[in-house]
Amino acid sequence: MSISTASRGQWGQRATDWGLFLWYVAAIVFLFGPIFAALVYSFNLGVVNKQTATITGWTLKWYPAAWNDLSLRRAVQTSLVLAFWSALISIIIGSALGYALVRHPSQIARKVLAGLTYVLLIVPETVIGVSLLLAYAVTRIPLGMATLVAGITPMAIAVVALIVRARVLTLDRRVEEAAADLGSSRLKTLWFIILPQIAPAVAAGGIMAYTFSFDNLVVSAFLTTPQVNTLPVYLYGSLQYGPSPAVYAAAAVVFVFTLLMLGIAALLYRLARRSGAAMTIA
Amino acid sequence: MSTLTSVPLDVIKPARGRLGAPSARLVDHLLAGIPTLWLALFFLAPLGFTVVFSFGRNIFGGVELAFTLDNYRTALSGFYGATFIRTIIFAASASALCLAVAYPVAYFIARHTSRHRVLAIVLILIPYFSSFLIRVMSLHMLMSRDGFAEAVLNVLNLHSGPLDVLDTQTAVFIGMVYAYLPIAIVPLYVVLDRIPRPLLEASRDLGASRLETFLFVTLPMSRPGIATAVLLTAVPMLGEMVIPKLLGGSRGVLMGQALSSQYLQSQNYPLGSAMAVLILLAIAVIVAGLARLTKGFAEVGQ
Amino acid sequence: MVDRSSPPKSLLSRRTMLGLLGAAPATAALSAAFPGSLRANAAGTGQLNIYSWPDYFSADNLATYAKKSGVTPNITTYDSNETLFAKLNSPAGAGFDIVIPSSSWIKQLADKGLLAELDHTRLNLASLDQDLLDRDYDRGNKYSIPKDWGLLGVVYDPEATGGEIKTWEDFFKAGERPEVSGKIRLSDSGWETIGTELWLQGKDWNTATVEEIKAAGERLKSFAKHVKSFSGLDPNAVANGSIVMAQTNQGTARAAIGLNPKLKWSVPGPFSELWVDNYAIPKNAPNVDQAYDFLSFMLQPDVQLAETKYVGFPAAVAGLREKIGADTPNADLIFGGKDLDFKKLTSFVVNPETIGTYLQVQTEIQAAAG
Repeated sequence: MSISTASRGQWGQRATDWGLFLWYVAAIVFLFGPIFAALVYSFNLGVVNKQTATITGWTLKWYPAAWNDLSLRRAVQTSLVLAFWSALISIIIGSALGYALVRHPSQIARKVLAGLTYVLLIVPETVIGVSLLLAYAVTRIPLGMATLVAGITPMAIAVVALIVRARVLTLDRRVEEAAADLGSSRLKTLWFIILPQIAPAVAAGGIMAYTFSFDNLVVSAFLTTPQVNTLPVYLYGSLQYGPSPAVYAAAAVVFVFTLLMLGIAALLYRLARRSGAAMTIA
Repeated sequence: MSTLTSVPLDVIKPARGRLGAPSARLVDHLLAGIPTLWLALFFLAPLGFTVVFSFGRNIFGGVELAFTLDNYRTALSGFYGATFIRTIIFAASASALCLAVAYPVAYFIARHTSRHRVLAIVLILIPYFSSFLIRVMSLHMLMSRDGFAEAVLNVLNLHSGPLDVLDTQTAVFIGMVYAYLPIAIVPLYVVLDRIPRPLLEASRDLGASRLETFLFVTLPMSRPGIATAVLLTAVPMLGEMVIPKLLGGSRGVLMGQALSSQYLQSQNYPLGSAMAVLILLAIAVIVAGLARLTKGFAEVGQ
Repeated sequence: MVDRSSPPKSLLSRRTMLGLLGAAPATAALSAAFPGSLRANAAGTGQLNIYSWPDYFSADNLATYAKKSGVTPNITTYDSNETLFAKLNSPAGAGFDIVIPSSSWIKQLADKGLLAELDHTRLNLASLDQDLLDRDYDRGNKYSIPKDWGLLGVVYDPEATGGEIKTWEDFFKAGERPEVSGKIRLSDSGWETIGTELWLQGKDWNTATVEEIKAAGERLKSFAKHVKSFSGLDPNAVANGSIVMAQTNQGTARAAIGLNPKLKWSVPGPFSELWVDNYAIPKNAPNVDQAYDFLSFMLQPDVQLAETKYVGFPAAVAGLREKIGADTPNADLIFGGKDLDFKKLTSFVVNPETIGTYLQVQTEIQAAAG
């Protein structure tokens, strides 16, 4: 290979690297643009209580307005509660499913579980929403937070299960077998050996389940009741006559709040890991 | 999140039966049984109603149980049949576009970050923590006339005069890529990250150019990731309603809108149910095809 | 969904379904785990559940009512009358005390037995605008009293349309002009698009047959190629010229004209739509007394004035126009313009025989525009 082609190859490589980097940056800008815009627009005066694309003036009034809109406030509250319960249940059931998908002794059982997970992924949400409403209508089960949580969780469980399953696939079976040979019960092995190893995947799944449930519109739209109305349903309704800038203010507060909670969680996790490491050394 | 996998679910190596003590088996059955029970109650059973209702007769806002295929006949008739095909073409192209944008991003994270990798991934996922509807509403305002995109494009000399991209197919595609980009990036990243580096070095050593290495080693080995990304983006796109409404002016109706309008506007539950069953069948066929496509590559990097 | 008034024999019996599902105990157990989540049917006072469009009550009025009565209205929101109907027609609808259906859906809700008959002795209807009472969607106001009302009209840029839009024929003709084509917004409601052609043909949209609706729809389908959007109208889009002619209500038109005064508003002939959003009380509402208390409060003239200013659509009390102060910009537009003729307005009533056709044809119109 001559020197000239080698240097041309190197130049080409550098150009590709830069191209990739710029592509990544462009993607980040694209993803963050609308979020940044939403923050800016929460300070826009708007026209006749409606949001407009042109900035008509700056104001802080939408923040108190959002707080004073009781239905909006309750919708945010409900969404937070819904996301919490849904994430909790999905973590437990989804982790069990994710583990069983890989380690269940019977191959038939694993196939059935895999099929079930596939179906969860492919059913359009409208179908789930309508089916649930029809089912509750026929069985006359009263609707509320419980039915809403029950309606959202199947899809959130699938998300958690997929993530956990991927982690379990990378675990070394021999560790479990060794633990069993040494007399550890299955339950103990699960708790003390498996769980610590899959914990990051469970946490990641939980976070995904949380955001998924918080954002869910279609299934929620079918299952909301006088007591239980979620933020996406409120937002979607307001599109008909044009949303007020107050909904942008509410969304901005929720976003900042969520990021703060995640930041704190990440910090706690780091601290815990560090102190854990320190203890091992001691 | 970094471990979302792309291996088809049904091709996992069979477990060796060594943990067969009765109590251990009970634990295993519980681990499989509880999710199955939960999903059977809150997912499969309601789905059963849809199947039953799809054979029923419509009474405005209600269903009379019967066994008739009329709903299926209507659902497959000219107009809805055409809508269905258009929807599949639309979802396939939007998904392909999304993947084309996502692949370089995933490639960059997998190959060109090391110390800042977590940050690189977190930045992709953070947008997920704000409300989807608000983000699409903001996208609408950014793309509107006198909006921010128009100003930027004019400054960069990429466009002159007012920007009329809203309420077009282009705007819908931009919105689709925007909404599903992170979902496409993650599985691609996971697979790209798993390709052993020595393999790539070997390819270079044997005289393959970078492009050749990419085309004949990297790309084929990332096929499971591509399949997962297609599955995770194209399926929800089939039912997407918000983006065509907010960014596309509700023109050129897609199946998601047609389906929900049967339920919510015409109050024709049997016809809506029949459409739902047909959509499910079609998706199942597509997914089975995808699974077949990736089967040979399932064991990558395990 | 189950028709509550019919015997369940046409459906699988409830017990079979329960047995089939085994879901009831599970849900019951689950709801026990979420205290306070299932109190939808908790009777008694101290509660008022309203189901409405978002942001459809003046926040000040709600606060005043809460202070006066000690009960804070709990408002849940929907995105369309169809959703309201589907909800009330299902267990999810239990627990609402006041709902706000539009004129088009009152009859269907009442026919399904979902609304309670109103006790007129507990409400002061005399103060209301008589033009809005006893209309054909609810004779004698048995089930509904008007909350506020709006019109189907056109907001347009007269320079682009090359003249005034006096009839729906003018609207269709203007749409073919190169300055207008591709910059039109049509309603996403089947009867509001197809209705225009039915009126031009001298037909009544409430009695038109399936064939007549389909025939009228053909004109809209061929017109669809000029249409840019069927989605909710952003006033900004008309103000900045990305849309130059739009079917819309007078509230959105007023916002657009506020942004760009050269725009014009008209209610084209020969007929156009009057829609009325109404207060109604669902059958089996848990807090009926509270509901009447709230309605009497809302019907007071000064409360109605504040509602009008906040919502941007005229409340139903008589003589409002004179009371709106000069500080309200384009106040005439709130009432649909200076010389609005109520005799040229008609309200749509959903009919199970034809509603499917209207929606089907509308879907085809929107598809034709794609």
